[in-house]
Amino acid sequence: MNSLVDQIVSWIIVLYGSALPALFVIFLVGITGLKEITRYESGTTFLYRLNPVTKLILTIVVMVVASTTIWWIGGILTLALLLSYLTLNEGTRKFGYAFFLALSTIIGGTWSVAPYTPPSVLQLAFPNVKQFTVIWTFPSYFQVMGYEQQLTLQALFYGLQTAFRVTPVLLSALLFIVTTTGSDIFRMFTKIKIPIAVTFSVLVGIRMIPRIFELLDTSVKMQFIRGLGYGKPKPIASLLIVYAIFQAIVPTMVYLFRGAKNLAISADTRGFRAYNSRTSLVELKFTKVDIYGFTIIVLLIILAVVANLTGFGRTIPYFGL
Amino acid sequence: MGFNGIKFDTSVPGMVPWEIVTAYFIIGLIIVFYFSRRFGLKSFTTIDLVYIAVGAAFSVVWEFYIGSFIGRFLPSTPFIGVGFWGRMFILLIVAALVRKPGTGILSLVIFNILSDLFFYGFGGEPMYTIYEGLTYGLFLDLLIIGTRGKLFGVGYKSSNGSSVATKRITGLAILEGIIIGILYAIPDPIFYLGFFRPLISGAIVNWATIQFDLLAFIPGDVIIGILGALAGQRIARAVGQ
Repeated sequence: MNSLVDQIVSWIIVLYGSALPALFVIFLVGITGLKEITRYESGTTFLYRLNPVTKLILTIVVMVVASTTIWWIGGILTLALLLSYLTLNEGTRKFGYAFFLALSTIIGGTWSVAPYTPPSVLQLAFPNVKQFTVIWTFPSYFQVMGYEQQLTLQALFYGLQTAFRVTPVLLSALLFIVTTTGSDIFRMFTKIKIPIAVTFSVLVGIRMIPRIFELLDTSVKMQFIRGLGYGKPKPIASLLIVYAIFQAIVPTMVYLFRGAKNLAISADTRGFRAYNSRTSLVELKFTKVDIYGFTIIVLLIILAVVANLTGFGRTIPYFGL
Repeated sequence: MGFNGIKFDTSVPGMVPWEIVTAYFIIGLIIVFYFSRRFGLKSFTTIDLVYIAVGAAFSVVWEFYIGSFIGRFLPSTPFIGVGFWGRMFILLIVAALVRKPGTGILSLVIFNILSDLFFYGFGGEPMYTIYEGLTYGLFLDLLIIGTRGKLFGVGYKSSNGSSVATKRITGLAILEGIIIGILYAIPDPIFYLGFFRPLISGAIVNWATIQFDLLAFIPGDVIIGILGALAGQRIARAVGQ
């Protein structure tokens, strides 16, 4: 009896760590939410007016700071970046989507590290802890999935720390995408002398990502309209969305590839690649706003240096990342 | 010593010697330079570039948003790699549509830039772009060159000019799918577990894991290779090539 309870609780723990982030994304963010936080919309606030080069440097600096300092600096960065979503167009809604995506990344990130971290790594990460606090002991066959037999509090904490390295980077990358027009990204790449064929493909890719979410969404809804999950109990019917997404992939791809012809023709008729470089009326300019941007960048770098000098550097060996 | 989030540690016990890895990538680069002089970016028409871009965008959507969450429902073992499989499947379809040398490398470069823009924030670059381009991308390109642009039997005609029976074309696609599946199982265990992970994070190298992973990756990758090849063949027909 006891062992049956053990089994059930073990599986609930596993499903909590893996399914909860997925459910967050499927139900609270949804395909519409993903579309919204991967697509550019025009705006006038600070982040929209920054030069894309400044924003790119900012993204890289956020990554460097998060990966070279202690976890709670990553946590503060996450919070600050999340709050800056509020300054965007339709800020509250975007903040909501970004919040759930971040939460899902934190839980998912913790869970993708914690149960797999062997005690030898934890000993390196927490040299001062004599005895690890065991929270749960998994049945032995869980080792097939790569699980350590015992889930410890320290392993969870270690997982959380690694998650705070990833989340700020994801948030700042998305922030860059939502606030920068495609043509500005094009100019940025041209400025750093990347071949036009590559730049063009990257730009088409950027424009395509929200479009893919939109098409997948339509296709999934169509399948439900056609009767997918009809008459089935509600929890099962709503989980069929995963099945519907699988079904939607190939039709969406065919649709996009067919549309590709029109896009190519329209680019060709405008003389695309007739010359090696692209002519442009708009020059990317550094303005007053960028001074503030660079101030933030410098402050972040100082923060990283100070943190490292005062012993708040990356003290944890992040194995397995 | 470090650069852009990459810390260099070349003395982890059991690690693949850096000389071998450098030699591989230099040879890879020489091959790429040789073929790029022969074919070059100019051989890609605008529509090829759009195909590659759509494929890379789809891979980003799959690997970071959809596949990564579906993957959490499945046990984490080297036998299953939902995110990677999706990318491989899409890559094979794009390759079937474009069928020009360089498709693989260009697709992976675009995928890497997009995934940095949307997810990773350019951490560890340009190392990962070079690594993925010159392993997965190069393998696909060598297969395209090997099949003389008739990848997965698309556009294949017999010597007297008549079109070939469907059975033979399907057989060809399956065979090429198997080859690419086996090839795609190699880089991650050997280069990533055996070199890049210890290089960056000083991770312990365990050759038992590397061997096991290599063998465990093969069945799944081969199945996706075959499915991707067949899907590529059909999509190429549906898109009207």
